[in-house]
Amino acid sequence: MAKQQTAFLWKVGAPAGQGVMTTGLLFSKLCAQSGGNVFDYAEYPSLIQGGHNTYEVLCSTSPVNNRAWQVDYLVCLDKVTLETHEHRLRSGSIVLFDPAAGKISPTGDYTIIALPLKELLAELKANSIMANMIALGASWALVGGQRKKLETLIAEQFGKKGAEIVKLNQNCADRGFETIVGNTTTTITFPWHKPEKTPIVLGGNDAFSLAAAAADCRFYASYPMTPSSSVLATLAAWQKMTDMVVRHAEDEVGVVSEALGASFAGVRAAVGTSGGGFALMTESLSYAGIGEIPLVVFLSQRPGPATGLPTWTEQGDLLFACYAGHGEFPKIVLAPGDVTEMVVLTKQAFDLADIYQTPVLVLSDKFLSESRMVLDSEVVERELSTPPEYGKTIRQVDELPYLRYKNTDDGISPRLIPGTPGTHYQANSYEHLEDSHTTEDPEERSMQVEKRLRKQATYLSNHWQMPSIEGSLERAEYIFVTWGSSKLVVSQARDMMDQPTAHIHFTHVYPMDREKVAALFAPNRHYVLVENNATGQFGTLLRSEAGVDIKHSIRKYDGRAFYSEEILAALESA
Amino acid sequence: MDINPSSLDFTGYTPTWCAGCGNWGIGKGIELALKKQQLSPDRVIMLFDIGCSGNMNDFINAYAMHTLHGRALATAVGVKIANHKLPVLVTGGDGALYGEGGNHFLHACRGNHDLTVIVHDNSVYGLTTGQVSPTASKGKKSRSTPSGIIEQPVNPLLLALTQGATFVAQGFTAQLPQLAELITAGMQHKGLSIINVLQPCVTFNKENTYAYYIKNTYKLPEDHDKSNFSQALEQAQSVFKERFPLGILYETTRPTYQDELPQLASEALAERGRFEKSVSLLDNFK
Repeated sequence: MAKQQTAFLWKVGAPAGQGVMTTGLLFSKLCAQSGGNVFDYAEYPSLIQGGHNTYEVLCSTSPVNNRAWQVDYLVCLDKVTLETHEHRLRSGSIVLFDPAAGKISPTGDYTIIALPLKELLAELKANSIMANMIALGASWALVGGQRKKLETLIAEQFGKKGAEIVKLNQNCADRGFETIVGNTTTTITFPWHKPEKTPIVLGGNDAFSLAAAAADCRFYASYPMTPSSSVLATLAAWQKMTDMVVRHAEDEVGVVSEALGASFAGVRAAVGTSGGGFALMTESLSYAGIGEIPLVVFLSQRPGPATGLPTWTEQGDLLFACYAGHGEFPKIVLAPGDVTEMVVLTKQAFDLADIYQTPVLVLSDKFLSESRMVLDSEVVERELSTPPEYGKTIRQVDELPYLRYKNTDDGISPRLIPGTPGTHYQANSYEHLEDSHTTEDPEERSMQVEKRLRKQATYLSNHWQMPSIEGSLERAEYIFVTWGSSKLVVSQARDMMDQPTAHIHFTHVYPMDREKVAALFAPNRHYVLVENNATGQFGTLLRSEAGVDIKHSIRKYDGRAFYSEEILAALESA
Repeated sequence: MDINPSSLDFTGYTPTWCAGCGNWGIGKGIELALKKQQLSPDRVIMLFDIGCSGNMNDFINAYAMHTLHGRALATAVGVKIANHKLPVLVTGGDGALYGEGGNHFLHACRGNHDLTVIVHDNSVYGLTTGQVSPTASKGKKSRSTPSGIIEQPVNPLLLALTQGATFVAQGFTAQLPQLAELITAGMQHKGLSIINVLQPCVTFNKENTYAYYIKNTYKLPEDHDKSNFSQALEQAQSVFKERFPLGILYETTRPTYQDELPQLASEALAERGRFEKSVSLLDNFK
């Protein structure tokens, strides 16, 4: 008798080069297109062949926005997969394993279903990499999926490779399905259904790319660096449609310089990188500051220092981002906590860069960049369709002399697009007069410093956003505080807790309104800061920017994102 | 209000360069070339690097960026992509273009970006009081190399030629009419134009003086074929023997970076309408 299930976590593992990413992506698509809410995430070492790659898909009847600890279905394309993830199996979990892959000594109360991959491959006359398709079919049968759906999706996925390849993949998947389908004691029924609207599944990098295209970004430059590289690939692939110019420049110094040139000349420009590349860009960030040149920086963090753990995750560059660049100039740092926020804040970042004529950073991390989830397409479509705001960008002058760095009450001077007839000016990296000529005059200097810093005050009153608050701050036993991607795990952990809890989540992390933030923190309440880093950087930022000192923090810095179970365990042991 | 572009003049602040500095001639050469092409300060974008040469930012009027040290050329790449309808001129020293920004130089040559690059080559860092630059002769003593520089000098002409620049010329600041012609020709050329300009630093370089350059420069022979790459390479090598050719060593036609971008086929990137079909991109994620 098949049992009804409302959520399950499926995970596949194999050495790199064995097609784990394709299997995972297809399984995720099967679930999403059959009405499941999915959250998926891949983990992989920094190499192309060998190692251990995994892809996991959490599928649920209700919206999901994070991973889960317990693995319900573990698909082992090798022995290592079982050995590495056995501790996440529960009683009743199901393992697909090929007995020909070696002798195993199971230690837990889970069910092993033999999937004779080697034998089936020989029978199907298929290459060893096709084991992933057999596993896909077997997995889909295990969760009670519709057999026909496999065939259609494989045709869509491999169509470009020709009918023969499609057929072979379909045969392998179907054979896998067939191997399982008779075994009713282990399959489940999930309320699969055809969704009303084809769901969209987006990761953080996808969201940044989409929002950049929608935000009228016309120039994107980057030098490949995990975990930001897929933005470069995505935007480059769309160039013919969007007419954006996407440049893979010689190095990150060239990347940011080119973006500043393009921005000065009148197009919205962005760069994307990770910590090491961003380190190379910081001098130019400072030029954007004094030259008042709009710039959007997408910074997807990975664990450092130096090369660190290139393909893993960490929220380790927050303070570096906030304080990057020599000299004093305004800068805006935004930290989306999930994929929807990535769409919204990326759109906003381009507007803010134009409105305040200064660098705006969008922080991500490997976990947020590469984990994908089903989004509410109406929300995304509405956001993408909202026209940009260009602030005081002008294409004609009404008064001469035109003063590029005119001292204004809000600190923002009208920015003329070069090439406009009748005048000229420079984007000067030296301190300058209102008319942009170089100066070392102390009064002019002070005036320009104050003018630039006034933009920060204007931002705080006009565009800065308070953190979002969930739950009752008055009644909560624990008040969680997060920024960026640790939002996800806290929402999930709160659902699992019996005690009343609340959650303060920051997106507009720097600068912040000192008084308004301080007012959220009352004495004698239990605040818990959750950060994916070792030193509690947001805690430091809150102390310096808001005078708030959170005593209790939960940190993780092993390159892996949090599981909600870890949050609960940390609270218990505190 | 009535805005009359013709009322704009290229002449800006009075230069602060030392009396006799080679930058005076180069500044004049640029201004002459711009006027000869009937450009006006609102129809040209100039990028100034950092150094005595870069201080020209206040002496010539134009839409301009006074960039960071070493970054004028990389910044210009972005400017030109954003608005390829306007001529873009880069000016900076040998330290900026061949040292601090050396990597950008190599890759700008490869890309054949449609830019004109004027390198003020005086073999020293003038603004930081006379340390050796990448073109300083081996053994040259300076504040940073009291026992003499160990490296051999960069050969700018060979470097530009071998990395793919499509217009390579050398001028001398004291030969103003030729210099103005070279800059004009460089700006008229479609693609990356490198014009290395020999200039004395009268304050910190007592070796590469006007007399030195008058003695060691020579006009390219009458029969020099600027379309012949081998001949250009040969002339460029004479620099190793302290003989400096003046004139256009090489000029060839290759599609520019901008030509190769279908996005720029009609309007300038900065001028055209916004992309409004972003919702359709969601199909990639279904």
